[in-house]
Amino acid sequence: MATLAGPPAQPAAATPSSSSSSSSSSSSASANPKFAHPPVSILPSRFARIYALAHPALLLSLVAYRFSSVTNDPVAELLGDIPFLVGLQVVFVMGCLPPAGGERDSNSAITETTPRKPTGPKRRGHGHSAKVPSWSTGLASLAWKLTPALLSLTLTTLLATPILSFLLVLFGAPVTTHHALTFLCAAHMALLSCFPLIYVHGVDGNVWREIWGAARPTDAVWGGALGTCFGAWFGAVPIPLDWDRPWQAYPITILTGAYIGYAFGMWLGRVKGVFGKRINFAPGPEQVRDLKVE
Amino acid sequence: MVTPTTNSGCAVSSADGALRKPRFSQDPSSRLSNPQNQAVRRTREPEVPSGMQSRATNGLKDDRGKHLEEEFKYKHLSLLGVFVWILFLHVVGIYFFTRGFLLTRMVLENKSSCDVLPFSDPLSSQPEHSTHGGCWHPKSFDKAIVIIIDALRYDFTVPFAPNAEVENAHLFHDNIPVLYETAVNSPQNAFLLPFIADPPTTTLQRLKGLTTGTLPTFVDAGSNFAGTAIDEDNLVAQLHGAGKNLVQLGDDTWHALFPGYFDPNLTRPFDSFNVWDLHTVDNGVNEHLFPLLASQNYTKWDVIFGHYLGVDHAGHRYGPNHPAMAAKLNQMDQTIRDIITKIDDSTLLVVMGDHGMDSKGDHGGESDDELNAALWMYSKKEIFGRTSAEKVLPPKYAWERFVPQIDLVPTLSLLLGIPIPFNNLGSPIEEVFAGPSGDDWSNLVTVNRLASAQIKRYQHAYAETRGDEGAEAQSVGLWETAEKVHDSKPESPVSVYEAYRQYQRDTLQVCRGLWANFNVPSMLQGIGVLLAGITLLVFYARGLQGDRTELTAPFVSRVSLGSVLGAVAGVVLAGVGATELKVPESSALMAAIGSIFGASSAIFGSPQRVSIPLPNSLWGWLAVIFTLSQSVGFASNSYTIWEDEILLFFLCTFGVVAGVSSMRQESTTDRVLGVYHSIVFVILGRLASVSRLCREEQMPYCRSTYYASSTSSTSAPWQLAIPFLVMLILPTVVKGFYAGSKSYEGAASLWIGIGFRLGLFVTAIFWMLEELDGKEWIPLSDETLKSIRVFLAQLVLGLAFAAGTTGFIYSKPCVSIDVAQSATEPEPNRPSSPGEQQLPRTTVTILGFGNVYGTRFFFLSINFCLAITLMQKPMGQGAMALLLWQILSLLEILDTNSLVTSNSPIGPTVLGLLGSFYYFKTGHQATLSSIQWETAFIPLTTVKYPWSPLLVILNTFGAQILTAIVVPLTALWKRPLQLRDTNAASPSTQKPALKLISDVAQAAATYILYFATINLATTMWAGHLRRHLMLYRIFNPRFMMGAAVLGVVDIVLILFSIAGVRWSTLSVGEIFGW
Repeated sequence: MATLAGPPAQPAAATPSSSSSSSSSSSSASANPKFAHPPVSILPSRFARIYALAHPALLLSLVAYRFSSVTNDPVAELLGDIPFLVGLQVVFVMGCLPPAGGERDSNSAITETTPRKPTGPKRRGHGHSAKVPSWSTGLASLAWKLTPALLSLTLTTLLATPILSFLLVLFGAPVTTHHALTFLCAAHMALLSCFPLIYVHGVDGNVWREIWGAARPTDAVWGGALGTCFGAWFGAVPIPLDWDRPWQAYPITILTGAYIGYAFGMWLGRVKGVFGKRINFAPGPEQVRDLKVE
Repeated sequence: MVTPTTNSGCAVSSADGALRKPRFSQDPSSRLSNPQNQAVRRTREPEVPSGMQSRATNGLKDDRGKHLEEEFKYKHLSLLGVFVWILFLHVVGIYFFTRGFLLTRMVLENKSSCDVLPFSDPLSSQPEHSTHGGCWHPKSFDKAIVIIIDALRYDFTVPFAPNAEVENAHLFHDNIPVLYETAVNSPQNAFLLPFIADPPTTTLQRLKGLTTGTLPTFVDAGSNFAGTAIDEDNLVAQLHGAGKNLVQLGDDTWHALFPGYFDPNLTRPFDSFNVWDLHTVDNGVNEHLFPLLASQNYTKWDVIFGHYLGVDHAGHRYGPNHPAMAAKLNQMDQTIRDIITKIDDSTLLVVMGDHGMDSKGDHGGESDDELNAALWMYSKKEIFGRTSAEKVLPPKYAWERFVPQIDLVPTLSLLLGIPIPFNNLGSPIEEVFAGPSGDDWSNLVTVNRLASAQIKRYQHAYAETRGDEGAEAQSVGLWETAEKVHDSKPESPVSVYEAYRQYQRDTLQVCRGLWANFNVPSMLQGIGVLLAGITLLVFYARGLQGDRTELTAPFVSRVSLGSVLGAVAGVVLAGVGATELKVPESSALMAAIGSIFGASSAIFGSPQRVSIPLPNSLWGWLAVIFTLSQSVGFASNSYTIWEDEILLFFLCTFGVVAGVSSMRQESTTDRVLGVYHSIVFVILGRLASVSRLCREEQMPYCRSTYYASSTSSTSAPWQLAIPFLVMLILPTVVKGFYAGSKSYEGAASLWIGIGFRLGLFVTAIFWMLEELDGKEWIPLSDETLKSIRVFLAQLVLGLAFAAGTTGFIYSKPCVSIDVAQSATEPEPNRPSSPGEQQLPRTTVTILGFGNVYGTRFFFLSINFCLAITLMQKPMGQGAMALLLWQILSLLEILDTNSLVTSNSPIGPTVLGLLGSFYYFKTGHQATLSSIQWETAFIPLTTVKYPWSPLLVILNTFGAQILTAIVVPLTALWKRPLQLRDTNAASPSTQKPALKLISDVAQAAATYILYFATINLATTMWAGHLRRHLMLYRIFNPRFMMGAAVLGVVDIVLILFSIAGVRWSTLSVGEIFGW
């Protein structure tokens, strides 16, 4: 926690959107924003490589195993599943992903270009540990990694979950009823998508501007987050059908879609041809702008 | 946004909307001096707006301008020709599909006659009956009074019985107890049964069924507005033929169906469509009915048909759960009691509903509540019986022991001693012929044998005429079985009765299936024309490179040539007899085919101009996904039922993607504005989705909010605040969007700030008076109030259409031009070019330059928005206001994401989604019963053609009409004004006006493409699922809606949107040159 208390003047708790707009001038000032925030790779340790593969499988089997009880009593089951989901995700991010700033340290070329980042102190602190790889399995390192994990968890609960609940309502979730379900659904989705994102990127305004603009280069974390959203979107498709199946009840299909999308997105984000690529909205103007920048 | 040389400034200029010609945009002083200002200061140059130049020095340019103006007008007109052709293809395609799809039944002209019994064997003729009077069967009554209480639902007539859906009695319960009381107290004198209608449940169709005994087919539903005489054998004709004197009182639909059958001196028809008038018809019927029942007049008539409309009108106007309905039912109760006291022993009294009403009081479809009517018969003689003890009490619910409505035909025929009409499919009602003690089985066998024999005779004749033994063969076995049982003369006649009964009901089922008789080749022709039209439209909208106006001339000439050749070929084909189509049909079809070939040759004739119309951006794919996934969804009844929620889902998806895309914009202004408007867009859509009118199939997962309650069609008191809120907020919102580009200049303040607001204020007053009507809060008579309301409504429509259109044609653009002669401020950074003269400087400040096309054209949308708002119920007015706001936000999103200049398909497609979405949010559903017919009387007191149908269209398709009006704005909003530069040459690129209408045409074609795809999908699915259980309930109404929307949208685009671009562009050109 000491490292976190460090950041002096920067409003660390600023919402991503506001910080992104305030940092926009700095981004245009930097030489080439495209390469300022490279995609996140899974840590090179053996455990990380294995668990990164096992993690989506574990999540999916959790879905399959608990599916029938979710249809029976969705509120209780979704609530009861949250600790398991948190546990799995914490193991995943701490075991397989570099915490906020760590990635950038290893990429020394641009370390000095962004000295004003709110994550600065964390990054520096972690940089020491990265230099001593033998410690990475040690208890101290684990405890040290726990801090950003806990912080990400807090932000996920306080920020991401309400935002996602609001989005669910905007997409047509009931306003007057099903509040607990909407909130739990949002919590699950936030834990899947936002928790790793916050752990890896902190509250770096430039990265979050890329995230809001869906302009991140593809990696496992971003692929998982995007997959969660797409999966949830497609999960809404079977709801109106008149098959009268209990699993068609809101929000079971949405969450199932989100889990499947997360697993698929994580896998796809690491595939060789996809890793590092960005989504292009309109090729024409984008190319024109690239030319302008150069 | 700006000309190509200044791409770096693209985003900024789109946000602030300033005019910058290339060379000035590099001049920082002009921007820095006025960073937030939409004005631009230009030093006087040789090429300032031509309208401000002196004519003497610029005669040559004037000529060129005039030439360009003429060219624009000509190209614009021929462009309209292209869209007329698209409309023509749609009409032909839909016509041919409809011709084969909407069910048809052959009408046989055979009549039953008194002398010819339906039996083939002479033995069974029963001579003794003719002595009793009566043709095939001894008659029981000389006279009959048939009272039809329009929309008398069965549950109105029986004591309230709580069930799972309804726990407490509503206002419509227990208010007409006379029917139930008499049936319980004296079962030999009266009986009451549920009386189930065959859909469609419109009055005209029901009267046909109730008098001919046949099943209506769907195609007749459209003729409700102009009823045609019945050719088939029917009750009224048989009674007339038997020499009875017939009197008809009430609903004038009868006269359309049976012209010349009624006694002209005693008959009193009343206008049936003024649904806001609850009392005129009913009081009129009473006024003329009771004198006829007086003893001195009792001999003047034989059968009276009295048709009361008050209950139906109360349902349409207020919904069933309203005090007005209770009062109306009480009045009917008293009327029936009065009639009972006046009739004699030889008179039969029949009271029935021709259909029911749904929970909001409307009808036309086939939900249970619409089908369940009530039938009650009464006689002073003890004649009715029950065959078992459990049948003594009238059923509690409509689904128990019901009789089909066509059963009335044989029953009345046999009771009054006339032949059963030739085409009857109904059965004699058991309670009528069972005898007072309920055991007269031989009579039941006799009447059922008669009815069965007539049915068999009809089946045989029908099969012979059609040359197809299908229907007869399917059930004739049962007839033979029944005859065998009859001939074997069993101990108990019950089995004979049952056997005949089974034959009758089985035949009815067979006929129901058989008359779903589709003409598949015609359907395929229609689909083929629609499909070819869509294919060409795809290429026209998305696959053409360069300027569409260059293509227009060869396009129109080839299409004309093709259609003329085709039409001639069609006439020849029909004349030679090579086709069974009639001459106009054949020539229309061939003209469509010929024009398709002509258009293909024009489009594909120059391959360098055509590209594969695949989307090249995420936006393009999004538009394709929205359109196609919705189209595929219409194959499923669930996705059709839940269309409103799906549209919300898509619109929200678009808003989120737009927000994400806005985050990618380079300029801060674009980013902030884009994200802001995306959020506004999504939230407004969700807010609008609160306004719902659930269709029956959405229950129980849906709660209607459009009216005061689910059983009413009036607004709740709090909803009356909505029009006033709209009046306060909406003009301010529009003003904000104008002010954002400094365009709240010129006519805008008058138009938006005063005209629009005033119109909305009058609308609010109108609807307040409307909802207060009938509550007697205002000490004025109903007539005075009605004429005040009509005046107010006509005032609003006059403001919107008469004044609005005039203003739109003659108004100047929303700019303010300020010429300051003395302004000689030095501009140090300005590069001095060699050709420049050092004259005294004149600074021209133009406010509102950045959005000159958009704001000028938007006036048209305001006119239509005002008129459509007037035509909506208060909740719908809120929805229309949200729609206008969402449209403006959408336009800003398109602009900040550079989607205006790139002609992205997403803009028109999202407008199409918005149009469909708000169709549901203005209290409509894809069902016939959701049409708000009563809105035809907002500015009128009586039905007037063609205004009444137009008003209903304005109410029903208001959302699609408004979005069609704004379609050109997806190419015009904040479109940069490209002034010709004398120095930069290349004349081919110097026709910005032509590029403008080319872009408008592309946007309009894309918008049509959305609705045409939906229409083709619903058409194909309805055709494919033509044997589906839910065809009439879900797929057919959706197909009809899709076709109607497509036609309306095409016509609105041709007549108003694309046509309107002419005036707005001319007015801009007048100021700024061509």
